[in-house]
Amino acid sequence: MKYLNDSNGATAVGLAYGPSAVEFIDQNPGWLDYVEMPFEQLRHTPHVAAIQETIPVILHCASMSVAGFVPPSEETIDAVKREAERTRTPWIGEHLAFVSADGLSEGGAEGPTSLTYTVCPQMSEETVERVAENLNGLRQRFGAPLILENAPQYFEVPGSTMPMTDFVCAVASRCDVGLLLDLTHFLITTLNTGADAFEEVARLPLERVVEVHISGLNFQSGVAWDDHATPAPPEVFELLGRVLERARPRAVTLEYNWSPAFPQAILKSHLERVRAAAGRA
Amino acid sequence: MRAGRVHSVIAAGLEDPRLLARWRHEPELLRGCGVDPAALDLEALWKFAGLSAKVKHNGLRADLPLTFRLMNVAGLEIEVFASYAAARADDGRRYAETPAARAADLSDFLKDWLDFGRREHAMLWDVLRYEMALARLRRAAAAEAETETQGPRSAVAPNGKSVPGVRGEVILHEMRCDPRAVAETLWEKTPRLGDVPLGAHYFCFWRRGAGTEVHILQLDELGFYLLSLADGRRTAARISRALGGGARPAKGFLAALGELAEFGILTFDAS
Repeated sequence: MKYLNDSNGATAVGLAYGPSAVEFIDQNPGWLDYVEMPFEQLRHTPHVAAIQETIPVILHCASMSVAGFVPPSEETIDAVKREAERTRTPWIGEHLAFVSADGLSEGGAEGPTSLTYTVCPQMSEETVERVAENLNGLRQRFGAPLILENAPQYFEVPGSTMPMTDFVCAVASRCDVGLLLDLTHFLITTLNTGADAFEEVARLPLERVVEVHISGLNFQSGVAWDDHATPAPPEVFELLGRVLERARPRAVTLEYNWSPAFPQAILKSHLERVRAAAGRA
Repeated sequence: MRAGRVHSVIAAGLEDPRLLARWRHEPELLRGCGVDPAALDLEALWKFAGLSAKVKHNGLRADLPLTFRLMNVAGLEIEVFASYAAARADDGRRYAETPAARAADLSDFLKDWLDFGRREHAMLWDVLRYEMALARLRRAAAAEAETETQGPRSAVAPNGKSVPGVRGEVILHEMRCDPRAVAETLWEKTPRLGDVPLGAHYFCFWRRGAGTEVHILQLDELGFYLLSLADGRRTAARISRALGGGARPAKGFLAALGELAEFGILTFDAS
């Protein structure tokens, strides 16, 4: 089994797990520092864990609904813990979002609604406090630290009292937590809310950024959307440059994991670009 | 507005897009759920349900790379999948388990939903059927043992009493574009879908037998309809009549049958 050793202080560079990543790892041994593995994938198709015989794994999760009001099941938390221990992931990335919510009826008589895709929460003091409570409980369960990933904002969430940047700042400060800065989510949010991505990124507590995510986006039906099947646009790499001027994240992950036919040449050129930006060329 | 209630409303609307339509018609229902109707952009939520549905169909990309690429380039992904999610919710049906079954369900939906008067929609329908035909035949080939023998081609010239039948398996599609031309432009840096010529194209996807490669044949109109009627039961004379010819098949008709037999796709039995 391989485990990530980033004690030399250099920024590690990896890919999110998917068919294209597997092909790249096969064809370019030694090129990547790690593969980022979704906990949900390990849970439903445990055989994918075998990739750790070839390359270290960082665990990523979308099941704990950290910004939600319905806690994950004990079974889910135990399963995350097992995978974190087995993979020896240096941290567990989780979305600053919710993936389940109480049912609509008073008292939630019909049980919670569980989604398969994380959703940007209401950005308010109430949610910040809730995240703090949730994190307090979860942190005690894991040996590895939890870090939180900013969600993409596609629409105004009713009752929000602060923009995304302020929300991330408030959560980071209140919870003293590391960040997984998804630059594409961040750019999408600024595009959809009319903010300036470069001004906003400068307001983030970049010293807390542990890991960076990069993926593509597209504009459809008047909205910017996350898209892991297309290459990241130049603006995302410009944002990465701004981040690296002020911070030294421990890892940068390219998330090109929605399409099995993602061009290997683009994968390689984007990895080279990230390595160069991180001083790894 | 309490965060928990807001999350409940958003989650319920994403899970069951029928609620979004109901709230659109009766906004006060939202107030009853603890959310100010003016504060929730239902249209945006409907689109987000489309993104969620699209992600659930990532498993189809292996068989349908051009279809997804075309939807992306034409800006149709969110519109298609948001409409599809709403339609599935209306029907009370969950998404199928296997990629092949999901592709078939999506195809059934698109057949009714697409506006074939719109160029991109017509191209999407053609590209989808093109990729599904190839995927189906390749899957069938992979599932069967390599037992196929080439078999003799029909050496006998067909006549009116000949009964043409297909050797192997064919899928026939009449299309408005050549998906191979669409593919060429889709992988360019700036795809120009408007440059893809439209017209009548007759495609035959053919697998000779088990474990063999899949052929893509572009036919003329006569060959296309001839193959569609060659069921191993009808005589050449009956097929000729069905296609508007005389009881005695014309020379050109028999020649077309002979060419298909020469290629190996048709065999003849005597009636």
